Amino acid sequence: MNDAVKSDNILLEVRNISLSFGGVTALEDISFDIRRGEVRAIIGPNGAGKSSMLNVINGFYHPQQGEIWFDGKIRHHMRPHEVAKLGIARTFQNIALFKGMTTLDNLMTGRIIKMRANILWQEVWKGPAEREEVEHRQRVEEIIDFLKIQSIRKTPVGKLPYGMQKRVELGRALAAESKLLLLDEPMAGMNLEEKEDMCRFVLDVNEQFGTTIALIEHDMGVVMDISDRVVVLDYGKKLADGSPDEVRNNKAVIDAYLGVSHD
Amino acid sequence: MFYRESGDFKTSYVQDQQIFPIALDRVFVGIVIAFAFLVVPFLIDDYWEKSVLLPVLIWSLAAIGLNILTGYCGQVSLGTGGFMAVGAYASYKITTAFPELNMFIVVLLSGGVTSLVGIVFGLPSLRIKGFYLAVATLASQFFLVWLFNKVPWFYNYSASGQISAPERLVFGVAISGPNAPPWATYLFCLTFVVVFALIAKNLTRGRYGRSWMAIRDMDIAAEIIGVAPLKTKLSAFSVSSFYIGIAGALFFLVYLGAVEPTEAFGIDKSFLVLFMIIIGGLGSILGSFIGAAFMFLMPVLIKNVFVGGFGWSTDIVAHLIFMIVGGLIMFFLIVEPHGLAQLWRVTKEKLRLWPFPH
Repeated sequence: MNDAVKSDNILLEVRNISLSFGGVTALEDISFDIRRGEVRAIIGPNGAGKSSMLNVINGFYHPQQGEIWFDGKIRHHMRPHEVAKLGIARTFQNIALFKGMTTLDNLMTGRIIKMRANILWQEVWKGPAEREEVEHRQRVEEIIDFLKIQSIRKTPVGKLPYGMQKRVELGRALAAESKLLLLDEPMAGMNLEEKEDMCRFVLDVNEQFGTTIALIEHDMGVVMDISDRVVVLDYGKKLADGSPDEVRNNKAVIDAYLGVSHD
Repeated sequence: MFYRESGDFKTSYVQDQQIFPIALDRVFVGIVIAFAFLVVPFLIDDYWEKSVLLPVLIWSLAAIGLNILTGYCGQVSLGTGGFMAVGAYASYKITTAFPELNMFIVVLLSGGVTSLVGIVFGLPSLRIKGFYLAVATLASQFFLVWLFNKVPWFYNYSASGQISAPERLVFGVAISGPNAPPWATYLFCLTFVVVFALIAKNLTRGRYGRSWMAIRDMDIAAEIIGVAPLKTKLSAFSVSSFYIGIAGALFFLVYLGAVEPTEAFGIDKSFLVLFMIIIGGLGSILGSFIGAAFMFLMPVLIKNVFVGGFGWSTDIVAHLIFMIVGGLIMFFLIVEPHGLAQLWRVTKEKLRLWPFPH
């Protein structure tokens, strides 16, 4: 692959990102890229800086150094809601659903950046406001069908079991129809069956909708099975980057995960 | 058995997204509104107007306003009294400056003015949350009341420092001033309440409502899906203040007639409206009505029963009212912390299956 094609192929690139909070360095000189249409895993032991990395991409944290390129353009100091408009959606490690709202409303909220009708039309619920509501409802219903959550459509999400909440959260991120989907430990705390379902959804999203996916996950079986490329972080530094097989056999990675004797 | 949705099929999303998806609800609400517009005006007398209907309507409107801000958007506010004062003084200034202006427009403009004031006092909400925001909004309460006491321009340099509503006609009938007939003032307020309750319902079930609730439930996640926090919070402050401003204008023009700001719009009014929405149900338009009716009508009812019914002396009953209403508030909050509207919702769920348990 020559360079021109390659750079065109890259959806997101972080270059030399350094992030510190006071004296604590969270990320140090991290660079990697995410290609269009791939499933990219970010792994590493606890405290490695994985979630910090996602927060930098999302615009929650602003790195002291480094550049973020998204869709061929450099991105300057952006607030999270502006990043959302660029086409980056995300799920959280600890479920961050809108607990007082129904599944349907959670998913509809996911499409909020695509809604335009002004407040006067919304007040009377006619014209553009009603049309928009129906149009987005149709798209949301497709996602509900895709995730097989029809039966909980009108249940407040606070009442749902954990596995279902995770699924609704994925649905809310999907509803935004983003270019890049960031999943922060989508399978954490799930049993085998739920994990299998979730893996299926992640792969289907990737294949059917063509969404690029970056995920953080601790279950190595899952990571090695579903991701195209893996980047490994440890103590804020990049240890390795490559295909699952390369990473699996990397000496530094094995040491970081298993520990190494100091003799 | 009677209250059910089986056989009531929805074949389009428009039907599914109605305010009242169950046919029986629609019929019932339709009958209530028709009764309020077509029958009540013929039955109303001075007592029912001044002691029951007008205050309940006006407080409901204020409660809807605060509910949008606190119940839907999660921003606690103790500035309601101050914002009602803004609405009242705005309506006074506008109607004395332009006596020919239609009163509907005067009231709407007062809401607009209050809305702008609300945005200004909503600015700290980006940095301050929860109880701290409540304290910050308390500042608006005291500042605004102080302002209307101190600056003579607001009360047109009148000697008493009070403002009093001049007589104004709508369709040839007085709706303010001492000669306004009860049915006219009632219909004037009812129109505002019905129209704006409908608007509130439409706003809260659409994009604005969802972004408010998103900020309330999980502000970080809301931001990540593209809800701009400042814009959303300020829109809630703006819409909420608009409602409270209208309520303040009606409170002054139609209900009280003459107003002294410290008395009429004190901190106790801010608390009263806050209690209304907590008792009625946070995040519920229906709850705003129930809460306002409960907090306002319960004392009236107790007084009528004990003074009128049993012939007890008024001062003993006045103390009893405090105890009974206080006890009832505690009782309902223990039975259903999410308010009377939730109690009603649970009852409806049960009714749909009745007489079967599941």
